[in-house]
Amino acid sequence: MPAKANMTTVSNNKVLVLAVFAGLALQTAGAQSNASKAGMGAKSMDAGPSGAAVGPGGAPDVAGTLKSAAEAVGLARWSGVGGERLPEVDVVSTMEFWGTGTTYGSERPSKSSEALPAFKTEYHVALGYNPPAMRVEMTRTSSGPSAQGGAAPLHTIQVVREKYAWDETEIGAGLIPGKGTATAAMAAANNRLLQLWILPYGVIKAAVAAGDKTKMLTENGSTVLTFPLSGSLANVLVKATLDANNQVSKVETRPDNPALTDLATETLYSDYADHGEIATDVKSPGHIIRKQGGRPALDIQVKTLDANNPYLVFPVPANVKDAAAH
Amino acid sequence: MLRYVRFSRAIATLGLLCLLPATVFAQANGGPRMDHENTLPPTPTGPTPRTPDGHPDLTGLWNGLADNLLGVPNQMHNVGIEVGTDTTRDIHSGAQIATWPLQKRKRQNNEQNERAATLLRRMGSNRPIYKPEYWQRVRDLDANSNEEDPSNSCMPAGVPRMGSPSLIVQQPTYVLFVYPGQGGLIATATSYRMIPTDGRKHTNLEDLDGTWNGESIGAWEGDTMVVDSIGFNSTSWFDQLGGYFHSENMHVIERLHRDGNTLTWTATVEDPDVLLEPWTTTPRVALLNPDPKAVLMESLPCSERDLAHVVTKEHH
Repeated sequence: MPAKANMTTVSNNKVLVLAVFAGLALQTAGAQSNASKAGMGAKSMDAGPSGAAVGPGGAPDVAGTLKSAAEAVGLARWSGVGGERLPEVDVVSTMEFWGTGTTYGSERPSKSSEALPAFKTEYHVALGYNPPAMRVEMTRTSSGPSAQGGAAPLHTIQVVREKYAWDETEIGAGLIPGKGTATAAMAAANNRLLQLWILPYGVIKAAVAAGDKTKMLTENGSTVLTFPLSGSLANVLVKATLDANNQVSKVETRPDNPALTDLATETLYSDYADHGEIATDVKSPGHIIRKQGGRPALDIQVKTLDANNPYLVFPVPANVKDAAAH
Repeated sequence: MLRYVRFSRAIATLGLLCLLPATVFAQANGGPRMDHENTLPPTPTGPTPRTPDGHPDLTGLWNGLADNLLGVPNQMHNVGIEVGTDTTRDIHSGAQIATWPLQKRKRQNNEQNERAATLLRRMGSNRPIYKPEYWQRVRDLDANSNEEDPSNSCMPAGVPRMGSPSLIVQQPTYVLFVYPGQGGLIATATSYRMIPTDGRKHTNLEDLDGTWNGESIGAWEGDTMVVDSIGFNSTSWFDQLGGYFHSENMHVIERLHRDGNTLTWTATVEDPDVLLEPWTTTPRVALLNPDPKAVLMESLPCSERDLAHVVTKEHH
């Protein structure tokens, strides 16, 4: 669930949001000629893979679909251990996962025919949704045509918590004098937060939080949810496709300002399973492929995951707060 | 994948049975029920009685949504997750949490119930902030709590993990706190604390042998009873879950405030050896047992029999 800072209502931007929303639909629906039609270019929902897509009167059952999607990944839960009369709630608060694969450099090659620099990558993510925060630790080794023999692995730790973003030389750097360095990276905050909200759990949380702004369509027989993010990402529209199991299989984001290419992403999720050493019945994708700004960004196989709301904290170093204040 | 062998249903059933003694005790005394419809604290009613010296009288048998760990609703209350009929809120961060109102739903087996309970108990955002060099240790202790949690070996829960006392006897120069062994998450033996309120000072820390409950001294700050404790061992954990270890330099300040028929308890943990900053529990609100004939029943002895049969890391 987005924290208050990210839940800010943007009613004064409603017109803008609607306009961009329509733009997104035009892109995703193949630029059909009349965007004012119901569904903005896509067929309105009449049936979904789960059978839960149609509500009373035949209207699209967005709430029912979101519940099905939440249950499909083990996010909506209740327990009979004294909780039989409590409602189902979103139990995903913190999570940690480890993967390996390929990430790509963001620098454009000097010749258009050259491939993007690619790195073999050990990928470790710790995340939380209350408050929204994420720590991405990568150890990257050059590979492919651009590899330089003998180059030392590049180790990076990128962190975001709400409006604060920083880089760490070691996990928790900058919190105790003399133990590592934290460097403010405020310009990266929105990009890093976006990575959190486009994970399957973030998509469901944000779609629920968007309330009536979340719309449901069908495209090529699949259920598609569209909604705006909120807070500092209120300018970003999300389009999420559900697979036959109601699990999020594809997420596309579009900023209202095309110049913000880092916020234009496309992510594919597949191979859902309970990947935890300790079983939780929380399903996570085993394979993540992402493009950012139209270019490959990462291709990661998830090795293991801890979804048991592990102890993950993201205190903001004092120097990062100072940097944000100036 | 490092998947371990699936948790046996027999173990899950044993876990549920652990809850029974406390449940029977509480319901027989007009106390709390396990089937809460929400996790909201009780609303205070009635006057707050006072002793002849003018202080609020904390004497009574206290239970309800507090540390009578009767299942998920209590544990969610204890970590600050307020579940209503169709809304859920984290009282510490203010975050609204997606909620799907109760309706007919599929039955779950014990495995599913226990796994969900483990997640629900850990939803809260109010976590102590350890120094970074201890973050992994906390995670490891929690993940391996079947073996690492001292309560799972029938060790005392200690202060402040015991939480709010179930029985308070208030005298002019001391208060007596009684904590019945409850089964469930802190399946420990009955414990008591005799806490002086006569104005004495703490013994020097270096002269104290560390214990589970430490040396406690009580004093009134206005209408709030403040219990200050030092002199702990480093074996106990300081909250019901999470691998929250501490050093022998832990300092605990408990606050108990009576409002009518409710008692609100909090504890602040200071431990500069391992914590970056002091940490305060979620306020836990207990309800006065209105039955004048209610008594504390004898607790069943804690006898660890399950650990040898556990084949996974799944845990409370």
